[in-house]
Amino acid sequence: MSPALELDGLKKSFGKTEIIRGVDLSIAKTERHAIIGPNGAGKSTLFNLITGRFPQTEGAIRLHGQDLAGKAPFEINRMGLSRSFQITNIFPKMTVFENVRCSLLWSMGYRYNFWSMVGRSRALTEGADEILQQINLTARRDLPAGVLSYAEQRALEIGITIAGGADVIMLDEPTAGMSHSETDYIVELIRTVTEGKTLIMVEHDMGVVFGLADQISVLVYGEIIATGTPEAVRGNARVQEAYLGTALEDH
Amino acid sequence: MSDQFTTDPTKPAQRMRAGAMILPLSPWIIAAFLLCVMPFIFTNNSAITIMNQMAITIIFALAYNMLLGQGGMLSFGHAVYAGVGGFACMHIINWDGFFSGLPLPILPVFGGLMGMGLATIVGSFSTRKAGTVFAMISLGVGELIAACSVIIVAFFGGEEGISGDRTYGLPFFGVEFLQQIEVYYLIVFWLMLSAILMYLYSRTPMGRMANAVRDNPERAEFLGYSARWVRFYSFVASGFFAGIAGALFAINYEILTEENLNTTQSGIILLVTFLGGVGFFFGPILGAIVFTLVQTVLSLQTELWGFYLGIIFVATVMFFPGGLAGLIMMHVPALRLGKLGHLGVPYLKTLLPAAIGTLGAAALVEMTFHVRHAATGDHEMTLFWTTFDSHSFLPWIIAGVVTFVGFAITRATAPALVEAWNEANTPEGMSR
Repeated sequence: MSPALELDGLKKSFGKTEIIRGVDLSIAKTERHAIIGPNGAGKSTLFNLITGRFPQTEGAIRLHGQDLAGKAPFEINRMGLSRSFQITNIFPKMTVFENVRCSLLWSMGYRYNFWSMVGRSRALTEGADEILQQINLTARRDLPAGVLSYAEQRALEIGITIAGGADVIMLDEPTAGMSHSETDYIVELIRTVTEGKTLIMVEHDMGVVFGLADQISVLVYGEIIATGTPEAVRGNARVQEAYLGTALEDH
Repeated sequence: MSDQFTTDPTKPAQRMRAGAMILPLSPWIIAAFLLCVMPFIFTNNSAITIMNQMAITIIFALAYNMLLGQGGMLSFGHAVYAGVGGFACMHIINWDGFFSGLPLPILPVFGGLMGMGLATIVGSFSTRKAGTVFAMISLGVGELIAACSVIIVAFFGGEEGISGDRTYGLPFFGVEFLQQIEVYYLIVFWLMLSAILMYLYSRTPMGRMANAVRDNPERAEFLGYSARWVRFYSFVASGFFAGIAGALFAINYEILTEENLNTTQSGIILLVTFLGGVGFFFGPILGAIVFTLVQTVLSLQTELWGFYLGIIFVATVMFFPGGLAGLIMMHVPALRLGKLGHLGVPYLKTLLPAAIGTLGAAALVEMTFHVRHAATGDHEMTLFWTTFDSHSFLPWIIAGVVTFVGFAITRATAPALVEAWNEANTPEGMSR
């Protein structure tokens, strides 16, 4: 079985600065993989490379064995990879329901259709309502997304990310800026909605990482210094050195 | 809270679906009815001319709003697509062999296809980026094609333009479109058809994604849609309806010149659309109605109509970015709370003096204009049905006092209006 996502000698430079300095990583299907590392390690850059936001300088990215070189974000999305953003990235002027409905359009085969009415499609309405139920936003259905609370917007973003039916889900710091109770809520949400899918996430909160991930990779200065199960990573000397032993000991 | 979740979520949706058949149709039926009876209310020919102009502007403004309001694309050269559609139709009208077999009501289809064809070519490179890049390309292309009108004389007819005679077409059930009123119903038919199609377009997956790309192109890309192609299709669709407007212009006026596609015309349609409000589908319709009235009725009263229009536009942009439609829709919350009536008296107290003050200010402007620009020795002017000497003191004092008092009262009563506004928008029993 080919891995869901494979990075092969991936490098990225901005001018003379090398941000990603040769990353090899293989993420199996239905694995929950967390990428951790100190600030400035290149985690978000790695995400942006995988999702086609930036072109890589060297190396290859393969999704289900297919090379992603030169593919635009929308093409990568159509191949079954979906992502959320570190900064909440929704359609603030549309209603919550419409946000989700828009994210269903492509996967339901509507493409650039300009002859059918979205309001008439039962499949679209029911599909969007189902997602709303999964992310517990049914009560907020007809509000403009911009007026939701921060945690609700994050939940909506996760809903948009999973709605298209992608089987590889990438979440960039899904719990950033949340209170403890909100974090617990979002973690449970992520756990249920990514059931049976491949999850790749960047996260700072070690509680979330150790609670959710099957596999952890530690990225330091653009290189992966360790990959393994949470226990193995926690015991790794280089990781402890990178984190000065502090953050990991609490968990 | 728990009750909310245990209720069957499909029920409200079903209820909405049952009511959804009649309610959204009513504005369309009312509009169609009004359009049909208008010529019986305003029977003279000049009124029909104004209404024709209005209907054409409405189609053009709605087409423009497919870009600006729906797609978030600011174009400075959209008159080109209407203009070229109109020129193409003018050539068809002059093509005897073909036109004598073509009923006139079909002609706008060709205008639309021409506008769409040009939009396909220009859109293929202009829609790569939104924002400033798109705006600049649209301006450049607009200038370029306007400049072509004196270069490619065979198509644009040079400075005198192209004219023709619409009545040579194949009679349509015996109608030869000799009368203005016949043209009116032709235009109204296309107005209804285009407006309905444009409205329905906004409800299709493409229409929804145009909104999504407008609000957040990056997110849309990560939902599987290419922001560029979404913009391109919106642009092409908008070009089609702009071309229809151009074709109707050709039918109505039987002449097209460079003025129909230059940047002034493009600026006017931007102004019309923004004045009406880009945020709502009916905004451009309001804008087109108000603009045409100002342009035709006010221009008969004063040479300075452009000046007043400019002030209205600047005031709209500064104080009511939602345009006239936004101004109307602002009152919906108060209406829902059943407190709209509470605003009546405060509005009267503030807006009536404001209107009087505005008229006073307009009188000052007109008198200044008269003193500066009337022929030497011509001291007599007529304003608000009163004839007086613009070089004497009294009229100046009266106008000045009216302006001052009007605005002073407005200023004094404004806080009460704000108070009433807040009260009307606060649900009963809730403190602010």
